[in-house]
Amino acid sequence: MLKSRRNEILTAAVLVAPFVAIYGWLFIYPTLQMVQLSLTDAPLIGAGNWIGSENYAQLLSDKIFHTAVWNTSYFVIMTVIPGTAVALAIALMVSRLRGWAQSIILAAFFLPYVLPVTVVYVIWDWMLNVQYGVLQHLITPIMGQPVNVWRRLPWLLPMTALITVWWTNGLSILLFLAGLRNIPQEIYEAAQLDGATRWQVFRRITWPLIWPVTVLCLTIQLILQMKIFDQVYLFSMGGRTQATMVLVQYIFDQAFVHNKGGYAATIAVALFVIVIAFSVLQFQALRARSAQ
Amino acid sequence: MQSTWKKLLLSAALVVATAAGASAKETVVWWDFLGGGDGVRMKKLIEDFNAEHKDSIEIQATTLDWGVPFYTKVQTSAAVGEGPDVMTYHASRIPLAVSQGVLAEITPDDMKIMGLSEASFASAPWSAVHVDGKQYAVPFDTHPIVLYYNKDKLAAAGLIGDNGLPKDLNGVDNFKAALKKLKDGGSKWGISTVTADGSFSFRTIYSLLCQQGGSIGSDGHWLEGDNADKLAKAVQVISDWVSNGYNPSYTDYPTTVALFTSGDAAMMINGVWEVPTMTDLAKQGKLFNWGAIELPVFFDKPCTYSDSHSFAIPNNAGKPQTPEKHAAVLEVIKWMEGHSLFWATAGHIPANKAVTDSAEYKAMQPQATYATLAANMIYDPKSKFAGVASPLFDAAGNAFTAAINGETSPADAVADMKATLNALK
Repeated sequence: MLKSRRNEILTAAVLVAPFVAIYGWLFIYPTLQMVQLSLTDAPLIGAGNWIGSENYAQLLSDKIFHTAVWNTSYFVIMTVIPGTAVALAIALMVSRLRGWAQSIILAAFFLPYVLPVTVVYVIWDWMLNVQYGVLQHLITPIMGQPVNVWRRLPWLLPMTALITVWWTNGLSILLFLAGLRNIPQEIYEAAQLDGATRWQVFRRITWPLIWPVTVLCLTIQLILQMKIFDQVYLFSMGGRTQATMVLVQYIFDQAFVHNKGGYAATIAVALFVIVIAFSVLQFQALRARSAQ
Repeated sequence: MQSTWKKLLLSAALVVATAAGASAKETVVWWDFLGGGDGVRMKKLIEDFNAEHKDSIEIQATTLDWGVPFYTKVQTSAAVGEGPDVMTYHASRIPLAVSQGVLAEITPDDMKIMGLSEASFASAPWSAVHVDGKQYAVPFDTHPIVLYYNKDKLAAAGLIGDNGLPKDLNGVDNFKAALKKLKDGGSKWGISTVTADGSFSFRTIYSLLCQQGGSIGSDGHWLEGDNADKLAKAVQVISDWVSNGYNPSYTDYPTTVALFTSGDAAMMINGVWEVPTMTDLAKQGKLFNWGAIELPVFFDKPCTYSDSHSFAIPNNAGKPQTPEKHAAVLEVIKWMEGHSLFWATAGHIPANKAVTDSAEYKAMQPQATYATLAANMIYDPKSKFAGVASPLFDAAGNAFTAAINGETSPADAVADMKATLNALK
């Protein structure tokens, strides 16, 4: 019996070995390298001198880093929960349609998700162009004059958040739709027989049964939006980049524009820790909720 | 049987040998960042070179993204020996590249082989490609900013002199008065300059600083003495235009070009690389009478910000160029320098004096009109923080965008800029 157990373990180890090897080589090893880099003053290419925790000390007093943390949090607050709520609402509405009508509407909501970020940028940049943009016709009556949303500080992040929700909603809608389809019709029929109102049906039946999908969407969105870079980088290029900086953009800025590999690695380690902390926190909080 | 096999083998060997002998062609891998109107003209130049050198050299060209992506890609490729054989490079970025060991030196022997020397080039671009007395690139052109103007609108406002060129534009107050005349005459905007991107407006601001005899300084000595005040005065010029309604606020690059070409703006300050946009539109009959002149003298002396495209050879780690490849690369550069007259149709001023002194160049308009600014050009400071798409540009974008549009005062913006520059290390 012992021999076959040992065989089992050996077989398991051999089968897992390729994955562990590749994962270790492509993810673990570079991460360790990154931590090591953050303890040096290396430029983008080449080695640097060991400076210990000097980079981390600098990070704590770095005004732009604090701005980046605040902006990233602000952006996450504006996209994760509102985006998931909007996706759920749309999924609920789409699930009431049937046949080809449902297919077409669903395709329309999913279409932005297919676009690459540069296409999204060009579309919205021109729609909101301060001289010629069609959407300025909506803004001008409210503000009194056309507003360059990419250069007026209070506007940039909320506008980018709105565009991001529009862009990434497709996946969440699909997930919610699949979750809704998994709820057996009998439950709804029983509720109808008992005379439940629409709101009671949603709160007591739909919401609890779709909770796992909600958790999934929230987690995906949270991790995705914490790493926001493309849209903010494109929309703020050439202007007030320091005031609208987000964390991944700051890493890019320090590494590629300022040629400071060691300091960029420090920011990356900080972001790594923040993302892990928040993911674990969120997961625990949501798990506690579903255990109720 | 055996003899047939032998014959077959022999003929096969012969074919392979002749094929190998015929393809003794050198391929030169070329990277540039020239998209847009001038990119089209560069592609034509490369096609012509390949046609002329059909049996000896072939350029395999790739156009990459302008700005930080290009320079980072060059740096990372050269570090592993996968860089190109020749590339275009902005002269203002050479100090940083040299400090990173990205560029190979161009020796005096190389210059002799190409038939070029210090005497072939204007002094500003020649000095810009040297670091610590060593040469690292061959200047190809200089591309300053110029003042584009709508001849019809200016003539209607009485701003065209007897020589057909604009008049009464020198001096800050005169220029403002001219803008007012244009606006009163019915133009929506007197001038369109980029106001959404402080990093682009910096080219104009930098010129105005130089026109006052000021200088931005260099590593460790940024904006010392009264240069900070002069810089604030330069920023004030543009913020005045915006606050008086002569220049649209928060307007980005493509929009300023559209405003000018549609006739909404009577003038525009932009780079010479927009000249092909204008000539192509004019050829289709879709443009008014237009011209381009050197920036007016707003302060004490003429001065215009400029940069150069130059040809450089990357320092591919572990893979130095073979003598044959090096000879081919020098031939490419020599040919391009000799044919830079066609490049002038892209608006750029060729760096090769033999071309700018020729009768054909002197007949080109509006190039010949603004070529006079070559004597008054100023380049970026020689610093590894300077150059296009550099930390210096980034600092300008952050400091000046708000000031130009009236959100902060020019003095505050300059103080901001000085603090950012001093913090660079």
